[in-house]
Amino acid sequence: MIKVKDLQKSFGSLAVLKGITTEIREGEVVCVIGPSGSGKSTFLRCLNLLEIPDGGQIYFDSEEITDFQNVDINRIRAEMGMVFQRFNLFPHKNVVENICLAPLKVRKCSRAEAEAKAYDLLQKVGLEDKALAFPDKLSGGQQQRVAIARALAMEPKVMLFDEPTSALDPEMIKEVLDVIKELAKDGMTMVVVSHEMGFAREVADRVLFMDDGIIVEENTPDHIFSHPQNERTKLFLSKIL
Amino acid sequence: MDYTWDLSVIVRFFPVLLEGAALTIELTCIAVAMGILIGTFVGIGRVSKHKGISALSAIYVNFIRGTPMLVQLYLVYFGLPAYFGPIPPLVAAIITLSVNSGAYVAEIVRAGIQSIDRGQLEAARSLGMTYPQTMRYVLIPQTFKRIVPPLGNEFIALLKDSSIVSVIALEELVRKGSMIAGRTFRSFEIWTAVAFLYLFMTLPIARLVNYAERRLKQND
Repeated sequence: MIKVKDLQKSFGSLAVLKGITTEIREGEVVCVIGPSGSGKSTFLRCLNLLEIPDGGQIYFDSEEITDFQNVDINRIRAEMGMVFQRFNLFPHKNVVENICLAPLKVRKCSRAEAEAKAYDLLQKVGLEDKALAFPDKLSGGQQQRVAIARALAMEPKVMLFDEPTSALDPEMIKEVLDVIKELAKDGMTMVVVSHEMGFAREVADRVLFMDDGIIVEENTPDHIFSHPQNERTKLFLSKIL
Repeated sequence: MDYTWDLSVIVRFFPVLLEGAALTIELTCIAVAMGILIGTFVGIGRVSKHKGISALSAIYVNFIRGTPMLVQLYLVYFGLPAYFGPIPPLVAAIITLSVNSGAYVAEIVRAGIQSIDRGQLEAARSLGMTYPQTMRYVLIPQTFKRIVPPLGNEFIALLKDSSIVSVIALEELVRKGSMIAGRTFRSFEIWTAVAFLYLFMTLPIARLVNYAERRLKQND
């Protein structure tokens, strides 16, 4: 579904991605792990072009989206949901309005249709009673579940998660991970940058270990966590497990 | 030195001063309304990724902020007629005050937009919204609250600065004051009255802004 070829990205003189090549298949859950500064988030943000790559190609459904002259970035982004570390809900809109905004403006849905969909999604993430609340009245875990519902409202083909639980208090991590697990069960294609190794082990079909701007090792969670091949992977895992 | 105050002068000419104050308010309100209109567009232009638009907006803002309003007024009133024929003082005053205010409002709007967390822009764009949609539905609505206090200050500043148009014989409050002072030789009384009239206009605006600020905070 997503093919990445020799992806490169620098910030000034700092090379963050030094040639990433990989593929995300339909229905697959891929977890990206690695030390901070390894380029995981930048890699994820390149996939929906929130960061513009300096080199290499990204194909989405066999269309090259890095062909910036001929591709409508907004159309591509509408097909890729993204969930951020810091939720980024719209503070001036209540929960339902947060979820409905993009379907109304981008998909041109009718209000009735968008709201019906929003309530369905809120039920899915267990927050139908918070429909009319404003984001600042919700806990971090609740905000992140709304953010997931907001992304899902666009009916994306793939979901990108950028450290979705890193800004959460420990007792709220589970409620968010449970929602993501549900999605995995439903067959959603997902790329998850995460520090939750337990989650990666349980849910991922494949784990990418990144360090210093490259994918050092990629394999099933079992292989990565139980029999890491690369020294850097071993070192990283020994520090955090 | 011993100066006897003659308050009757103030009483006698009070209606005239009020007429001047009315014109001051009228000019200020029109200019601020136009300024908000101009400033919103220019402020959005300032943060535009389009180099030409952001450069033009910056030139406008820097020119207005970097030159005295008196010079701007002379440019409009004495300069523009070279191309457009004579311009009535009222029109010249409104143009000058509006264009001037527009630049300051543009800076307020720019700062307001840039103060919004970048995550808001990213969230909206990640949902497939275009840049204009993101501006309109996500960023601009959030800037409203933040720009109310500085806009109030701009209103007050402009109300005072509008006195500058007295130099092109527009009979607003300061012009009326100097006409009466010149005729009665009661400068101290008249200018005191003028000062207090300005205070009576600016203090309620300040109160109103404080009130609006508190109301908006409650809705946070």
